[in-house]
Amino acid sequence: MNELALALYASESGTHLVDAPRGVAWAGHLQRFDERSARARLAEKGFRFLGRSDPGFPPLLGAIHDPPAGLFFRGGAEPELLARPAVAVVGARACSGYGATVARGLGRDLAAAGLVVVSGLARGVDAEAHRGALEAGGITVAVLGCGIDRDYPAAHAELARRIAETGLVVSEYAPGVEPAPWRFPARNRIVAGLAAATIVVEARERSGALITADLALEEGREVFAVPGEITSSLSAGTNALLKLGASPLTAATDVLASFGIEPEPPAPRHELLEHLPATADELTRRTGLPAPEIARTLVDLELAGLVSAADGLYRASP
Amino acid sequence: MLARAVTHALVGLDARRVEVEAHVQSGLPSFRIVGLADRACQEARERVRSGIAAAELEFPEGRVTVNLAPAELRKEGSGFDLPIALALLAASRQVPRDRLQGHAAVGELALDGRLRRVGGVLAVAEAARRHGLERILCPRDSAQEATLAGIEPVPVRHLADAVAYLRGEHQPEPVPPPARGETPALADLADVRGQERARRALEIAAAGGHNLLLGGPPGTGKTMLARRLPGILPPLDEEAALEVTRIHSVAGLLPTDQPLLEHPPFRAPHHSASTAAIVGGGPGIRPGEASLAHRGVLLLDELAEFARPSLEALRQPLEDGYVSVARAAGRAVFPARFQLVGTMNLCPCGARGDPLVECTCSAQRLARYRDKLSRALLDRFDLVLAVPRARAEELAAPRAEPSAAVRARVVAARERLRAGAPERVPEADALLSNAVERLPLSGRGRARVARVAGTIAALAAADSVLPEHVAEALAYRAPQELAA
Ligand SMILES: Nc1ncnc2c1ncn2[C@@H]1O[C@H](COP(=O)(O)OP(=O)(O)O)[C@@H](O)[C@H]1O
Ligand SMILES: [Mg+2]
Ligand SMILES: [Zn+2]
Repeated sequence: MNELALALYASESGTHLVDAPRGVAWAGHLQRFDERSARARLAEKGFRFLGRSDPGFPPLLGAIHDPPAGLFFRGGAEPELLARPAVAVVGARACSGYGATVARGLGRDLAAAGLVVVSGLARGVDAEAHRGALEAGGITVAVLGCGIDRDYPAAHAELARRIAETGLVVSEYAPGVEPAPWRFPARNRIVAGLAAATIVVEARERSGALITADLALEEGREVFAVPGEITSSLSAGTNALLKLGASPLTAATDVLASFGIEPEPPAPRHELLEHLPATADELTRRTGLPAPEIARTLVDLELAGLVSAADGLYRASP
Repeated sequence: MLARAVTHALVGLDARRVEVEAHVQSGLPSFRIVGLADRACQEARERVRSGIAAAELEFPEGRVTVNLAPAELRKEGSGFDLPIALALLAASRQVPRDRLQGHAAVGELALDGRLRRVGGVLAVAEAARRHGLERILCPRDSAQEATLAGIEPVPVRHLADAVAYLRGEHQPEPVPPPARGETPALADLADVRGQERARRALEIAAAGGHNLLLGGPPGTGKTMLARRLPGILPPLDEEAALEVTRIHSVAGLLPTDQPLLEHPPFRAPHHSASTAAIVGGGPGIRPGEASLAHRGVLLLDELAEFARPSLEALRQPLEDGYVSVARAAGRAVFPARFQLVGTMNLCPCGARGDPLVECTCSAQRLARYRDKLSRALLDRFDLVLAVPRARAEELAAPRAEPSAAVRARVVAARERLRAGAPERVPEADALLSNAVERLPLSGRGRARVARVAGTIAALAAADSVLPEHVAEALAYRAPQELAA
């Protein structure tokens, strides 16, 4: 069976296909299909395609119960990169400052330790995880729920471009497929499928991130959940996961340990970190240091990856 | 019989010479005004007729024609009433023609013959002086404004006074020089408790003339802080004061007794204001809020509530420092180089930045809210600050430094900056480059941080920009979630 033909057919017809269907439509499609020109059209736009039985296809994704026929790629890196140990970081799009800080810090620390950070390019937790990985100079992979030629959401076009510089943007959908909400669960199975472990940072009940976690559990992958305040509806989903037996994540080292990666010995902590989370003004009052000095110190800590800020609240990075 | 009076018509902030020719011929009684006069100007007929009667003078008999020359220049407003009346009276030999020609005249007539103040007297008086006239007949309430142009005003309360003066029967009353040096009573920073970071950012914004955006939940003092910016700005220099006064004069907003505006103006249009009200334009030629804020502060309180077109329309003045307004005949240009201060909530429900309330906004709503602040507009704010909710302990903080103390530092820093922006030492450059790589910071973002760092160095009275100045400037950059 030709996997590129199947991927294009599935994209065109908007159907979720694992194997070639029966019927005249597919037969006709196969008859018209010209592999050379199809690949040339992709190459022209800088896209590549890897079929599920090609040797370079990510083995973990190939092992899920409904793998895609193949993946379309854009970006500078080789698809073999997807065979490296990878972690998915997912969560709410309208995350809180807490969620954003945690996602950013995890993206950074996991990528710095050499893991590939996989997510869905969505707003909120997804984008923060990608950005954290980029900040650390690490590798991150964005999985799209639309055609490989689309940037969705459009506001993340620049982020996608930066991800593709050193990592990959991937999709099971051929160029031209419009973003549609009903495709996001399918996208989530690829996010979870590419990764040996999935981390849920913040999730409301019945949200997309929980679907990703369920898919990971079904495939027997490890699932981590970040504990949140019991009064916050943004943590209802993650706290429920913890009740169900997901591993609690309180530091990046929890994940690294499951990959057998020894954490770096902890650096001596800066004194200001003891006062976090806090606003800049609270730090001024708690330390007695003037506002300009607090501002400078916080920026130094931010640049060192030890602190991050959201909505005016500074937090120590996980 | 023909007679002539001279006045000047406003074109934006400039005034062009207009000759008011009155022609009285025998024939059936009629009164016409020709020469591209707008409606307010056409209505001069009623006011002039009634004003002349009220002054117990004779309205000329026969066919009366008033021509406003040059004809291609559009004449707007009621300031032509006085010159029209005087030209008519000269044409009917009730005032000496030669004497009238040595004067400029401007002012609106009430039906009882009294003179009313009009906008733009400063610009008209300046134009009269440029044309070599030494005196301007103007309403009493505009006389002090006219002195600012360096021309001698002849203050007139009633049309009869003007006539008596021109006949040499009446000396003009002396015009006291405009009161000066009194700063208006402004809200003081001493009232703001806590908020050390925002106070510091306000000081930097004042010293460097930077645009400032304050984001935070409701009730944290954003509006309070923004309204205290004018109080820490230095007064305007002579030239700037005249420029600002000219604009406010055209808008008819000058105080009578203290017409010279020596303090940076502060304008805070409501978010429901129309685009025309904000940038100028519309049927009249009134300058908009952006121009009224020229050399001062334009506060857009609750920035996200403003209509998108209004925000977009501010891009031209923010870029070029002026607004050009389309008019029937060509365009009028108003200067609009203002310091922009914006306040906004961090999300539509307002909870973000408040540790005690949870945000209930959906991702779409949040994204739409943030997208409203287009990249192009956000790029204009050198300082972007989150103003989170202060906890109880902070509101109990002692009264803080008063505005006067802050203003002294701002003035000193401005002096230094005028002498030239300090250079960055190599380590400061290295920190900036590191930040560009790590944060990430766009090229424009880098330039903004560099500018702010220069201002911080000037406030510190440092000879060059050190890494610590760059580090502090980085703390006031636009956060990732807004920069998207
Ligand atoms: N830091 C502060 N110090 C003193 N009063 C404050 C402070 N913050 C808020 N207030 C009080 O709360 C009121 C609302 O503040 P305001 O500036 O309108 O908030 P915002 O614009 O952030 O919604 C002010 O009029 C003032 O009385
Ligand atoms: Mg307010
Ligand atoms: Zn909200």
